[in-house]
Parts: sequence; C-alpha cells; structure tokens
Amino acid sequence: MLNQLLKKIIRTGVGPGRFIMAATGLTIAMLLILSAVQIQINYNELLYGKNNQDSIANFLVVNKVIDGNKRENVLSKEDLDKLKKQPFIEKVGLLTASRFKVSAQSPSDNFPFYTDLFFESVPDEFIDVTSTDWKWEAGSTTIPLIIPNQFLDLYNFGFAPSQNLAQLTQSMVMTLPIVLNVTFQGQPIRFTGKVVGFSDRISSVLVPQNFLKMANKQFGSQQGEMKPSRIVIRTNDPGNPELVKYLKDNEMVTDADKTRFSQYRKIVNTVVSASWVTGAVMLLFALLVFSLFIQLTIASTKNEINLLITIGTSPGQLQRFLMKQFLPANIVITFVCLAIVAVLQFLLQAFFQKQNMYVDRIVSPYTLAAAIIILVVLWIVNYTTIKKYIRQTEK
Amino acid sequence: MQIQIQNVVPVPLKDKFSKRASDVWNKQVSFSKGEWIKIVAPSGTGKTTLMSILYKQRHDYEGAVKWENIDLKNITGDDLASLRQHKVSVIFQDLRLFENLTARENIELNRVLQKPFYEAGKIDDMTEALGITHVLNQRAGVCSYGEQQRIAILRALVQPFEWLIMDEPFSHLDIANTNKAAALIAEECKKRNAGFVLTDLDEDNLFPYTKTYRL
Repeated sequence: MLNQLLKKIIRTGVGPGRFIMAATGLTIAMLLILSAVQIQINYNELLYGKNNQDSIANFLVVNKVIDGNKRENVLSKEDLDKLKKQPFIEKVGLLTASRFKVSAQSPSDNFPFYTDLFFESVPDEFIDVTSTDWKWEAGSTTIPLIIPNQFLDLYNFGFAPSQNLAQLTQSMVMTLPIVLNVTFQGQPIRFTGKVVGFSDRISSVLVPQNFLKMANKQFGSQQGEMKPSRIVIRTNDPGNPELVKYLKDNEMVTDADKTRFSQYRKIVNTVVSASWVTGAVMLLFALLVFSLFIQLTIASTKNEINLLITIGTSPGQLQRFLMKQFLPANIVITFVCLAIVAVLQFLLQAFFQKQNMYVDRIVSPYTLAAAIIILVVLWIVNYTTIKKYIRQTEK
Repeated sequence: MQIQIQNVVPVPLKDKFSKRASDVWNKQVSFSKGEWIKIVAPSGTGKTTLMSILYKQRHDYEGAVKWENIDLKNITGDDLASLRQHKVSVIFQDLRLFENLTARENIELNRVLQKPFYEAGKIDDMTEALGITHVLNQRAGVCSYGEQQRIAILRALVQPFEWLIMDEPFSHLDIANTNKAAALIAEECKKRNAGFVLTDLDEDNLFPYTKTYRL
C-alpha cells in the first residue's frame, strides 16, 4: 500500500518518454558490450579452439633470406638461440642437409628416370608422417624416404604427361624400390631407397636422422659442425603478426601462404579491440544517462520527497522504493540483451558450421559473467545515486 | 518521553528575541510525558519558528532542544524518521498535504508509513466524526481550507505518538467543527497517554491544559 502511495506521489515528476530513452540507451550499450565479449570468445575459439586446429598450419619451415652475395645463407647459433627464446616459438628443429653427391634412378625401364638428388633430415617430432618403416639400422642398405606430396603432384601432372608415362598413386610409389648412388671418392656406393610416406609440411627428401649423420660423416666433403640453412619451427599461431615481424626483422622467410593471414589478423584484431572500446564507452555513457535520469526524477519531485521526509518517511524507505522503480528495468534489460546475444550466437554457429569452422552454440560463461558484473555495477550506480540525492534533499 | 528546550534563541532576529520577555525563548523549559501544553503566541512572537525547531524543520538556532535527553541536532536519517513515525506527530499551520493524493490517501499514508496503529476502517470513523466523509475521494488540492485542515488533523491522529505538535490547528474551522476536532484530539491523546504542545494566537478553553506559556 505504501508503495502504491509513494508511486503516485513520485511518479508525477518524470514522464515515461524520458524513461524509455534512458532504458533504450542502456539496452544498446549493454548489447554492444556483451556482443564484444562474445565476439572476443568466438575469435579466440576460431583461432585456437581444438576443433579448429590444423596440424599443418602450426609448423613452418623457415630459412634465411637468400642473399646472392653470400655463398651460404645459414642460421648462426645466436640466431637460433634468440629464436628459441621468442614466446610464439614452441620448438625449433634443425634441418640438416646432405654433404655428398647422391643420385636416384629407377631400377627398371618401365619408369625410366634419373636425377641428382639431395637429402635432408629433421628430428622425428617435426615430421607429419608416422610409419613403422621410418627407421634405419646401421649397416642396412635400405633407406626409408619421405618425399613431399608436391613432388608426386609434379610427377603426375607435369613430368608423366610430358614424357608419356603412367601416373602413380601414393601406394604405387611406396612399392617402388629406388636405386640410390652415393658418389664417394669417385666411386658409387649403392643404396636402395623406399618411400614410406608423403609429407605436406616439409618440402624436402627426408631420410632418418641417424642415417644422414652417418652418411655425412662417412661420405661428406665438409666436416665440422654444419650450420643449418633451414629450420622447422612449431608455433601455436602461424598467423601471429609478431612472428611475421620477427622473421622479417631477422631476415628470415617462410612459406608465405601460412603467414599471409597475419595481415588479415591485424585488421581483425583491430576491429575486435575497437568493438571492446566502443562497448565500454557506450556502457559508461549509458550509466551516466541512467544516473542522470535518477537524479532528474529525484530533483523534479524534490518538494514531494521533502514533505515525505518531514512527515516521517525514512531515507531507507525512500531508497528502497526508488530502487524498486529503477532496478527491475535494469534486470529486464540485462536479460533481454543476453537473450538477443544468445540468439545471435545460435545463428552465428549455424553460419560458421557451413564454412567448416566451429564456435560454441551457447553463449560463453564469460559473457554471462560480464552481464552479471554489469548488473552489479548498475545496482551500485543506482544505489549510490539515490542515496546521494536523497541526502541532498534532506538538507 | 521528555522534551527539553534549553535557552533556545533563533539566530535570525536574535536581538529581538533576546530582548523580549518570553516564557520559552532563552529559557530552560521542560515538558514532561503526557502533559498538555498551551503556548499563547500573538502574531510575530515566533510561534511557527518554535514549532519548526521542535519538529526539526529548522536548524538555525542557538541552545538545545532535547528529546529524551538526546540533542535533536544529533538525531538524523533513519533515527529521525523513526521518531516522526512513532513518537512525534505534527499538524502544520500550512497544512502541507499532498495535493495530488485524495483525502483518504493523505491520511492512509501516515497510517501505513510504519506498522499501522489503526486498521484501515478507522479512517472512516474519524472522517465521520469531523464531517469530511464527502471529500474522502477528492484530491486534497481542490478541497477547501477547512476541509484540508481537518484532513491534516486526522493525518496526525492515525499514527502512534507520544507527543502531538500542533501549530494553530483550528485556524480555518468554525466553532462547531473546532469543538469536534478538539474532542477527537483529546480522545486520541488520552488513549495513548500522550502529551501535546498547542500554539495559538489567544487563550482558550478547549482543553484542560497542564501548563500555559506565553511566547
């Protein structure tokens, strides 16, 4: 009953029009900031989420920029140490190259080919092929090989048609024995190579590390510690603009494709950050408008409030009453905004699914937490504004 | 609850008040629980000023007013509200009703501001006694002064109190209505063992006053 009477006394102050304006402002601001939070979550999910991880994308083959004036463009120990310290680098693997002449040819005349060749080796953990055949025992003349898929494509779509040769499948290639001849002191030393896998990651002819180590020692023309010209790095985020910048600053390059997106990423980063800033600014603004609205209501019914206090209404009663007038609207607005963001997220998930990208169907708990925090802030703003202006009116 | 007025002098026109002889200004005055006090105050003697000070409407005075030994200046906020809800009721000279509320709503407000002393029906009994039943649903702003004054009187009587402060409460009423109002006030005060402080321009015989002062 008391509330009804208070409502009748205090309502006359401010029209519904102003209230709707303040409420609208708050709704828009809250929508913006909740969306900003959700966008940030989606963004992170798209970049780093388990479902979006691509095993190829996280390994990059990096080499020093080729400077025509130098005979060798290698990475020194300092280069490597410095690189390993970078936060975006998880692991660095050195690509060791062969230091001897080797050639490959087919054993039969059905697929006549001959080529001078080279080998490289890298620690197993960097290779994207798992095979039980990928091992070499000292003394064995059979050497497992891993070649790039690109080579097979080159053969199938370039070499074979031009030479009128049959095209080969992966399994066919893996059954072919390849004759390898290492030239040492003028004499050929024969090995048999067997392709055991195809890599999409490293564009090289890979042999097991222990074999190459032995072969370099035994047949190699240059001795001593070999500096790597190429390395494989494992990174959690190849599109990271910082990685690209570091490589550029240190005269290193990598497959351009995988880092091209860093440019786009920079732009998206900026947009996502901008949405944060916009949301926060708008929220501040909305808070200001709402507290001004409260102030206006109290000020325009100053006389009535004074009289209420005179006949014995406690400041506490007035505060509770005013909170009841303003807070429910805030709560409703918060829930409405959450609902809108939830619906948008649902639609977004469906949209992304078509593109084979994955985001959560429901709003993230962070968004929920943000909404609750904002509600608490609103509560505090309401409470302190009311308290302050009732106190002022009391005087 | 005892009221003590200790050497109170309003700051504006301080000279005027300290020079004049008065029973209340600049004196030590004490009202004991349940006493019916009349203060005779011709025009210009500061009657409304005193009432305002007593009810903590004005703070520009020297000296102290004490309610049950606590200086009124130290009673604030929720404590002051509690005092006004349960211990001290008031009838203002300028009435001060909520113009947009009806007569019933004005009275009802005081009834429900705290734990009700009377149930809702009591209002109708009282309005009958004073003859204003016909304006119960009328906006207070359009009632006549006489009707408004009776509404103000009833508003003061529906709440619990130990003291009733009245500033010229019958100024707009004719003799018949004045007598009815006085009878009702006496009845309500007796019921609560309450005292009152009534100020008016002249002496009168409306109540068996415990003490009379000249302001």
